Amino acid sequence: MEKSLLLKAEIREHTGSKSAAKVRKQGRIPAIVYGHKKEPVAISLDVRNLVEGLHHGHRLMDVQIGKKRQKMIVKDLQYDYLGKDIIHVDLMRVDVTETVKVTVPIELKGTAKGTQEGGIIAEHTDHVEIECKVTDIPETIVVSVKDMDVGDALHAGDIELPEGVKLSGPPETLLVTCSLVAAAKTAEEVEEEAPAAPEVIGEVKEPEEQPSEEEGKRGPVG
Amino acid sequence: MVMMPKRVKHRKSQRGKMKGNASRSNFVAFGEYGLQALETSWITARNIEAGRVAATHFLHREGKVYLRIFPHKPVSAKPLETRMGKGKGEPEFWVARVRPGQVMFEIGGVTEDVAKQALVRVAHKMPIRCRFVKRRHLL
Repeated sequence: MEKSLLLKAEIREHTGSKSAAKVRKQGRIPAIVYGHKKEPVAISLDVRNLVEGLHHGHRLMDVQIGKKRQKMIVKDLQYDYLGKDIIHVDLMRVDVTETVKVTVPIELKGTAKGTQEGGIIAEHTDHVEIECKVTDIPETIVVSVKDMDVGDALHAGDIELPEGVKLSGPPETLLVTCSLVAAAKTAEEVEEEAPAAPEVIGEVKEPEEQPSEEEGKRGPVG
Repeated sequence: MVMMPKRVKHRKSQRGKMKGNASRSNFVAFGEYGLQALETSWITARNIEAGRVAATHFLHREGKVYLRIFPHKPVSAKPLETRMGKGKGEPEFWVARVRPGQVMFEIGGVTEDVAKQALVRVAHKMPIRCRFVKRRHLL
């Protein structure tokens, strides 16, 4: 079940990349608050509190802006180019009774039967889109792969969801497959398959030289 | 020559510049673990092949190796002891352009410990500094 976290926010007077960079230097993360048909508000949050909260699985947060406290959910996170640090957060205003659409990561449990026969489990999608009450957002959705044999596939529609949670994305979304791994090609095989030079698009190949018939028929003029 | 495109629009290309960081392909998307570039460089087809062989050899047909880079760029060179001029040289080898943040190799279907050992071996074949990364499940 969803836990709530209290974060103190400061309103950002200036927006834009330069002022956002200044905010980050002060140990805070720039964020935006929107939803409920109200004006969006640019705020900043403390890095430590936010990152710690997210790692503990908090999606619902109590954000205090000035003296007002509001419930919000984390809608999106932006990372730096290495994917290490969070550089921006999108927060959406919500009511406790409201139903929201969120993406939740899936967690694979168990060892598949097929892996003993040489198959491997490939995770094609690591999250599912669900619809549930704000207070019922699960941290992860546990998917058991114990019964998967070689050649089996698991779709979003096949998974068991907790009570009060509905799938909102397409049920045919492929989540996990168990398949045999093709034998890896050796360096020699790869080299044999590769052409010596690639074909150039639009380049007309020169036809092999043949003596033309017309030239042979032409006799001396005059 | 190892990896190269099947068809190209132009046989030779200019050297170009590689500014900034990777804005795409900078997270693990197919496997569970990956090898991320920390520097800007050309990675030759030979480097990529050496990395692939190192990883598959270590994994003993366990798990799956994904290559996230492909050598699309031809690099030309002049033959030895040739006078300057007389036009651009012939394509000699093919390279992938890699910027910091690019995930170059991915491994799935094995434990973290095994993946780390395999990717360390791949990293030794690369001409740049790399780091081991995991798939991000957080949003």
